[in-house]
Amino acid sequence: MKTFAFAALALGMLAGVAHGQENFPNRPVTLVIPYGPGGSTDLLGRQLAAELQKIWGQPVVVENRTGAGSMIGTAYLAQSQPDGYTLLFNTAAHVTAPAIYTDLPFDPETDITPVAMLSYSPFLMVAGSGVKSERLEDLLVEAEDRPMFVATAGLGSSSHFAAELFVGQSGLDMDIVHYSGGGEALTDLMGGHSDLYISSTASSMAAVAGQQVKPIGILGIGRYDSLPETQSTAEVGIETPDIRIWQGIFGPGGMPRELVEKINADITKVLENEEFLGMLSANYTMAATATLDEFQAMVAEEMDFWRKLAKEREITKD
Amino acid sequence: MDMFANLALGLETALSPTNLLYCFVGVTLGTIIGVIPGIGTLAAISMLFPITFHLDPIAAIIMLAGIWYGTTYGGSTAAILLNIPGAPANAVTALDGYPMARQGRGGLALLMTTVASFIGGSFGIIILTLFSPVIAGYALQVSSAEYFALMLLGLVAASTISDSSALKGLAMVVLGLLLSTVGMDAQSGAARFTFGNLALLDGLSIVALAMGIFGVAEIIASVRKINVGDIDRKTISWSAMLPSRDDVRRSWMPLVRGSSVGSFFGALPGTGPSVAAFMAYALEKRSAKEPERFGNGAIEGIMAPESANNAADQTAFIPTLSLGIPGSATMALMLGALMIHGINPGPNLIIEQPALFWGLIMSFWIGNVLLVIMNLPLIGLWVRLLTVPYHLMYPSILMFICIGAYSVRYNAFDVFVVLGFGLLGYLMRVFALPAAPLLLGFVLGPLLEQHFRRAMVLARGDFTAMLERPVTATVLSLTGLLLVWSVWSGWRKYRARVRAQQAIEA
Repeated sequence: MKTFAFAALALGMLAGVAHGQENFPNRPVTLVIPYGPGGSTDLLGRQLAAELQKIWGQPVVVENRTGAGSMIGTAYLAQSQPDGYTLLFNTAAHVTAPAIYTDLPFDPETDITPVAMLSYSPFLMVAGSGVKSERLEDLLVEAEDRPMFVATAGLGSSSHFAAELFVGQSGLDMDIVHYSGGGEALTDLMGGHSDLYISSTASSMAAVAGQQVKPIGILGIGRYDSLPETQSTAEVGIETPDIRIWQGIFGPGGMPRELVEKINADITKVLENEEFLGMLSANYTMAATATLDEFQAMVAEEMDFWRKLAKEREITKD
Repeated sequence: MDMFANLALGLETALSPTNLLYCFVGVTLGTIIGVIPGIGTLAAISMLFPITFHLDPIAAIIMLAGIWYGTTYGGSTAAILLNIPGAPANAVTALDGYPMARQGRGGLALLMTTVASFIGGSFGIIILTLFSPVIAGYALQVSSAEYFALMLLGLVAASTISDSSALKGLAMVVLGLLLSTVGMDAQSGAARFTFGNLALLDGLSIVALAMGIFGVAEIIASVRKINVGDIDRKTISWSAMLPSRDDVRRSWMPLVRGSSVGSFFGALPGTGPSVAAFMAYALEKRSAKEPERFGNGAIEGIMAPESANNAADQTAFIPTLSLGIPGSATMALMLGALMIHGINPGPNLIIEQPALFWGLIMSFWIGNVLLVIMNLPLIGLWVRLLTVPYHLMYPSILMFICIGAYSVRYNAFDVFVVLGFGLLGYLMRVFALPAAPLLLGFVLGPLLEQHFRRAMVLARGDFTAMLERPVTATVLSLTGLLLVWSVWSGWRKYRARVRAQQAIEA
């Protein structure tokens, strides 16, 4: 019944879509955030909404459509009009969650249009009070003797996939434990109940700064500027792709190219704002430099990469 | 550290005209939101969250916190007067609060819950002020194994909270537990009872369930026996509101026990005021000399949960402020309000932002005093609300319930969940099945399951390793003893009854 209603709505409105990219937007824009209010993605999304509102001169309304590791908000986007008035702000969960939720009511590749990449941060591995090592190379030795636990922010989250990638590539005997949210995962690390947690710097750097957990490695190839001492996994001989955790804007599938380019250009304008950049770096996040084509290619590539990993590591439920 | 200097700094911050104003705005909004069934703290704070971008961070968090604990004050009002809890944390209060209102002691019940809220809140603030860092340190030691044991103890202790037959109560606890398993399995990712519906992957919404089973069911039941304006005007007068010496005597210990239980559960991340209220009520009923008074308007039955949920509201700030770890979605929002201003909560918060930390704590005191001052004259108004014709009041409540359920995750599916549970709740009433144990099972179920599963992963599947943890072993043995004792005392009562019957027949 619901689908019928949406289909009818879609047909009715499609006629009106074709014209008028040049005066976009001429009415309020909805920015869907597929997470609950108050989290790091929500905060970033809300500030982005405020900036876009300044540029567009139209209200940008934030709607938190929570659930299923961001897939409920994404499903809502997939059903919306591709007219730019409904956009979604999501993280790399956009490419990891579809590997877990195989039963989605939309095709994440064709029913969603990547519009712009906003920011990124490295995958940082932090260690809890139960871990003796200070450096990644020592950790690998320590983990040989004592099988460790890797905490995640939840099944299907990017921290889960990062954990699977690390365990798979290092060949170490480690168990993965799921928590509901990064906060819970960090608490158990502090208490020494689990050992490692890999997530964005945005979610764990506050705990690092408070010396509640120690930074032990960067998942990827290069080091992270704010933690120059911390080794990367590639440095210690663990084969790792050059991956990052990122945030970006998405629209429904079938958005006209000119409209996508227009919104992409406006996001680039936001990234020229000194105040916004200052806010990003205060949250241990870096401004994106990827062009529209690079971003769209990256999304497709990563979706493929994580899906393969999910098969290999037998995470996918079939 | 000089405590007096800290408190002085806090008072100075909290009493600044701006902060005082935002504290007042917060607690007023909180009371109103609490009184209205359906619209909960989370929905209210999410709606007001964007405003905090434009406020000074101290004022912002003072206001949001005011809404948070103000809601729990107000939440008991509808629970007592209408048998519709304002929020899940107040559901237990309806068990004895509503019978009190029907006995014409509604004004008294409202007055006493205000007192209970104030004392519970104050108790929580004292704990928060004096022991924050210590408790936060201990909270870190609590692992999933201990959580599981505690939740199991709670479940066994509280499963007989309803006054009807124990068997029916237990059946409803189990139903609640079963309902809580709907959704994605957190460790394996298997979809359970979701029927391919994406919205069910995260489980049923607690707000939708509670509002359906209490609110909508109550409305359906009342529509059939509408009797407008039968409220005794005398109950609004001051003399009818004042507690008798007997009421005061009965209230002391429940207040002390409720506040302690509430402070304990509040400080544990992830549990919060609902669990605290259930546990306090269960403890009271278990330790009562005449447990049969509970459910029939026992004043202990409102004092314990209302002091507990307010104490828990305050101590919930311990992990939030001293570890930077939010214990609930609402606490995450409050942290968000600080983070957006570049303040990172954590162990250094007290040192780096003493004005904010102590100012916030002192604002809790002020807020609690404001709430008492505001609530006392309002009691008369609330009771008079009952004289609003039901054909006006019930549709509005229904509307608020639907808005409240929808606004938690902007999902229309949750509105249907409300209606479904409304029907289930009504059927349960027809068969005299109690609703509170169902909510208890639903609240504790996910905590029990997730912590058990996680504890088993952390113990590498070895259950005996869990028993080697001293606290876990102690709590689990206590649970076992309680279970044996319950069964034994139940059997003894049964035997006594049978013997008495035989004596009569003989």
